[in-house]
Amino acid sequence: MLLRRCAVSLLSFTLLAPTRADSFENTAVVRTIELGGSLVHVTTTFAAKALEAGSKVYTVALGDVEKQRTSWLEAKVKGQSKPLPVLDRVADSTNGIRLVDITLPQTLGLNATVNIVLETIQTHATYPWPERASQQEDQALKYETDLFVLSPYHTAIQRTKIRSPSPSIHSYTTPKKLEDFTLDTPVTKSGATVTYGPYNGIAASANEEFISKHQQPVVIHYNYEYPVAEVPKLKRSAEISHWGANLNIQDEIHLRNAGPALKGHFSRLEHQTQAFYKRSAAHVIPGITLHLPPGIRNTYYYDLIGNVSTSRLRAVPSVPKNAQTNQYSVLELKPRYPIMGGWNYSFTLGWDAPLADSASWDKTTGKYIVRVPVFTSIPATVVNEAEITIILPEGATNVEFATPFPPVSSSMLTHTTYLDTIGRPAIVLHFKDLTERHALPIFVSYVVPLSAHLKKPMAVAMAFFSVFAFALVTRRIDLRIHKK
Amino acid sequence: MPTAFPLPSDLSPATVSNTASLLRIVALALISGAAIASRLFAVINFESIIHEFDPWFNYRATRVLAAKGFYEFWNWFDPTAWYPLGRVVGGTVYPGLMATSGVIYNLLHALNLPVDIRNICVMLAPGFSALTAWATYMFTKEMKDESAGLLAAAFIGIVPGYISRSVAGSYDNEAIAIFLLMFTFYCWIKALKLGSALFGTLAAVFYFYMVAAWGGYVFITNMIPLHGLVLILMGRFTSRLYVAYSSWYVIGTLSSMQVPFVGFQPVSTSEHMAALGVFGLLQLVAFTQLVRSHVSSKQFQDLLLIAVVTTGLLGAAAFVGLTYAQKIAPWTGRFYSLWDTGYAKKHIPIIASVSEHQPTAWPSFFMDLQFLIFLFPAGVVLCFHQLRDEHIFVIIYAVMASYFAGVMVRLMLTLTPVVCVASAVAFSSLLDTYLDAAEPEEEVAEASGTAGTPAVASKKSKKAAPQAEAGNAFTDIVAAAASAKKGDSPKVKAIYGLDTRLAIIVNALGMLAFFVFHCTWATSNAYSSPSVVLASTNQDGSQHIIDDFREAYYWLRQNTPETAVVMSWWDYGYQIAGMADRPTLVDNNTWNNTHIATVGKAMSSSEEVAYPILRKHDVDYVLVIFGGLLGYSGDDINKFLWMVRIAQGVWPEEIQEPNYFTPQGEYRVDDKASRAMRESLMYKMSYYRFAELFGGGPATDRVRNQQVPKVGPTLDYLDEAYTTENWIVRIYEVRKEDLLGRDLKSANAFAKGKKRKRSKPLSRRRALL
Repeated sequence: MLLRRCAVSLLSFTLLAPTRADSFENTAVVRTIELGGSLVHVTTTFAAKALEAGSKVYTVALGDVEKQRTSWLEAKVKGQSKPLPVLDRVADSTNGIRLVDITLPQTLGLNATVNIVLETIQTHATYPWPERASQQEDQALKYETDLFVLSPYHTAIQRTKIRSPSPSIHSYTTPKKLEDFTLDTPVTKSGATVTYGPYNGIAASANEEFISKHQQPVVIHYNYEYPVAEVPKLKRSAEISHWGANLNIQDEIHLRNAGPALKGHFSRLEHQTQAFYKRSAAHVIPGITLHLPPGIRNTYYYDLIGNVSTSRLRAVPSVPKNAQTNQYSVLELKPRYPIMGGWNYSFTLGWDAPLADSASWDKTTGKYIVRVPVFTSIPATVVNEAEITIILPEGATNVEFATPFPPVSSSMLTHTTYLDTIGRPAIVLHFKDLTERHALPIFVSYVVPLSAHLKKPMAVAMAFFSVFAFALVTRRIDLRIHKK
Repeated sequence: MPTAFPLPSDLSPATVSNTASLLRIVALALISGAAIASRLFAVINFESIIHEFDPWFNYRATRVLAAKGFYEFWNWFDPTAWYPLGRVVGGTVYPGLMATSGVIYNLLHALNLPVDIRNICVMLAPGFSALTAWATYMFTKEMKDESAGLLAAAFIGIVPGYISRSVAGSYDNEAIAIFLLMFTFYCWIKALKLGSALFGTLAAVFYFYMVAAWGGYVFITNMIPLHGLVLILMGRFTSRLYVAYSSWYVIGTLSSMQVPFVGFQPVSTSEHMAALGVFGLLQLVAFTQLVRSHVSSKQFQDLLLIAVVTTGLLGAAAFVGLTYAQKIAPWTGRFYSLWDTGYAKKHIPIIASVSEHQPTAWPSFFMDLQFLIFLFPAGVVLCFHQLRDEHIFVIIYAVMASYFAGVMVRLMLTLTPVVCVASAVAFSSLLDTYLDAAEPEEEVAEASGTAGTPAVASKKSKKAAPQAEAGNAFTDIVAAAASAKKGDSPKVKAIYGLDTRLAIIVNALGMLAFFVFHCTWATSNAYSSPSVVLASTNQDGSQHIIDDFREAYYWLRQNTPETAVVMSWWDYGYQIAGMADRPTLVDNNTWNNTHIATVGKAMSSSEEVAYPILRKHDVDYVLVIFGGLLGYSGDDINKFLWMVRIAQGVWPEEIQEPNYFTPQGEYRVDDKASRAMRESLMYKMSYYRFAELFGGGPATDRVRNQQVPKVGPTLDYLDEAYTTENWIVRIYEVRKEDLLGRDLKSANAFAKGKKRKRSKPLSRRRALL
């Protein structure tokens, strides 16, 4: 019996009325783009005014490219911390525009205003330019986006700020033909920030007509001083053991440097010289630092050919449940070799954690509830594909699970290991384009009857018993042909 | 009867035997535990990793076996080894080791115990060492008794001479072979003693297992016939010998021919002819016995003479004839090098270049065997004392193995078991003598004594008497020696009192204790290094792991195309195949001398000469080991002369060893290095940009303690692709041909902006004239 639920309460309200352009008006839209390597954070603030009483659903629009890149989306009312329920409108996305309905906390009266903050994280949005860089050269990336924030409503004033992590911006697009919206310079740069706008009086733009007429791409070419890491494939398996009171988590990580590919060859001499003068090249990944949960033990880090000895772990003891602490076991990983642009490195990382830290037992229903994080976030890194396998104890029944966001696919299978007789139920989940914001827990609940707990000791005892019984019998059988 | 110390008298024989058997089981269990535990230094100090070179191939083959099943493994053709030739792996390996691991792996997985195949491979040798201890116990029990057996088991369990080949991770054929060797010998002795066809067949089955597991099976193939021959010559032919030998030889030979790598060798090569000859001889002798029981003695003597002379002549003639007709292969080179230690260096440099094929230095006997080495002759002498059939076996074994261990370092391994057995016999005789509580009867002493207080006098004299009831070989020797010295003494010679006993026993136990300390020390210090990983200590005393090999191999594995061919000296072939998973030109299975010589030629000739060789063999990367920065002495520059020698063996016109020495005959890498040396690919790849690392200071090669030239070599046909953290492994990429058709040297010069030298000075001079 498998019941799927999603933690993000995708309220299945039947209120799927087509957005009417006259239900809201945007008094101001400000989009802030924080440029990065693998991840680009985009925060858009909509100051909206209801044009009719009883408005509850506000709709935002994402363009074609933006739609593909956005892997995390969260809407809030400004100043509040609770995210608002959002619903993808699948039906209306044929014209390359994705419409997302945001349900406001309360119904708005006529001319009432609300500030909605839409936070998105884009992945695979930047690319290295030039595509190849030698060991001494700097790393520069290009980011491309649309000039206008699309909205199904009329927008009074709109601006876009693009913040680069360093002030050295090589180039940025100066948009043309903006006489309809502004008379000033269409773009200004100050320090590390490039501002497009303000542009005034933009009509409802979430339609093909506006896009073909006014929308234009904006490209910014900037220096990036940190490596661009990417995880093409991550496999996590979490194994729950009640006998060992243990939650084992093992990650198989394939790490890739998505920065500019190394031009020419790697010279150890230059690498050592740079390290000596503390001028390491920006696009080298010398190592990564991970925040693992507290209370872990038996941490292991190996790759296909054995243990990697170059890592350091500072473990902290378990913290009591519900305690508000930010304690982590810090693991500093160093790959076998510095990962230059375009190089790969795959490794396995695993640890044991006390089960009590992440599991609890519900007395009333007799169910165990276990919390398993989707993945351990690697800072500023995107995980392209993730496969999460949660292996439950042998004999677990009534398995239910809740994911913090919908998986690409999910399935159940039977995993047989360590003296199992009937195998253990396992949940397999696939995700894609995970960012640091996705490192949220999956909740699994199940029932393990006492008979299932006792199955393994019984099986082992039976095996030994039968061996002894066999020995007992064979000792007493005389197979000699010539009896003396 | 007086005793030196009180003995319990109210024990029933059943209690005694039960207790003794329980104690034996406990002792054997503890010995097994000690044998396994003492081999785990490598795992604890480093990690669960496959060691050295050959084990990497075995491990790789085992993985294929575990993943794809036995038939796939049997038919496995490996296109990545010996590129472009490939290697038929299934038919060129002794599959016993891999099959053993595969069976264990499948068994554990059938029980739902998901043990990693690597851990099985790593732990196989320690596991089998416990079995070896048991087999040695059984063998020695046949020689003397259980107590000697336990001592022998304890010795073989921890003796460094065996540990050196069976630490955890040393996943090589020897790991299981010594167990098989000892168990085959045990079955043989048992078969001989009982005249049992069952034990003869068991010996054959384990012989087959041994053939499938290790090339050293030839040792058994010749030991057992030799034993049989000596027994016949000593006039000890019995029907028991006939049954035991015939059942062993027939079943053993037929089954050994099922191993593809062995095939028809048991009937076609000289190494196996002794077994066949003794088999024939046994039939003759048995037939003769039969005839003798039917004809009169005079006729028989004539018949015997004629028959023996003719069959002997015919047999020898047939052997020589078949050898000349090439029906029987003559002795192989490896075999010759056992008789003439200089043979290999002259004729087969590849064999000579392997360090474990060198003659043994005498300190290593003490290192590997410690006090066993001087107990060993005593044990052999004790064997002469009784000289039962099985003692003759030990004596022959001791003589043969001692010789071979002196010739080749690796054959120390075959000597070790017999040393343990003989020493255990000697040591247990000593303990038997001095732990025996019996003292001679007072009356006897008084009767023979002449002094006033005979007991005290005889205690002081400390002389052993020929005791009839002791019947102990060691006592006999002591007594014989004593009586030879003193002549016929009227006093009763025996061991009196506790103090004499204690003096000997405490000394003996002290020797055992020192032996344990020595074994632990030797194992942890000398034999537990994986050699893939090097250990050094940080300034604060903590262990620092130098992991350059795996760094380079993993880089190759992750960042080069899967078909990239890597050329390196053959030592690293198996490791590259196992860890980097890339095709290699040559590897540790040195079956093709020409191919190895080709690599040697490429390494030892100049870039211009080497480049076509590299391109013709599709080489993408060249890997060299360079220890100059760290002082790692096992690097390629130190092995370089062997490359030169092996290349010279095939191309004597192009490569000459003397060219690589200075005119004074020194092997140098500094300014005075010879031209051939400086221009060789190996030298260039090793020292490329090495001097720049020192920032203008004197660049010292810490292995050879020489200062390399400040202006280092330049490379035109290769690019440095990767160098590891401590510069131990350096990988170069072979450039493709220039797109404009220039030779790479001038293309390189052009790219660097150098002007081309005008190449027509002659014509200008002519114009001037």
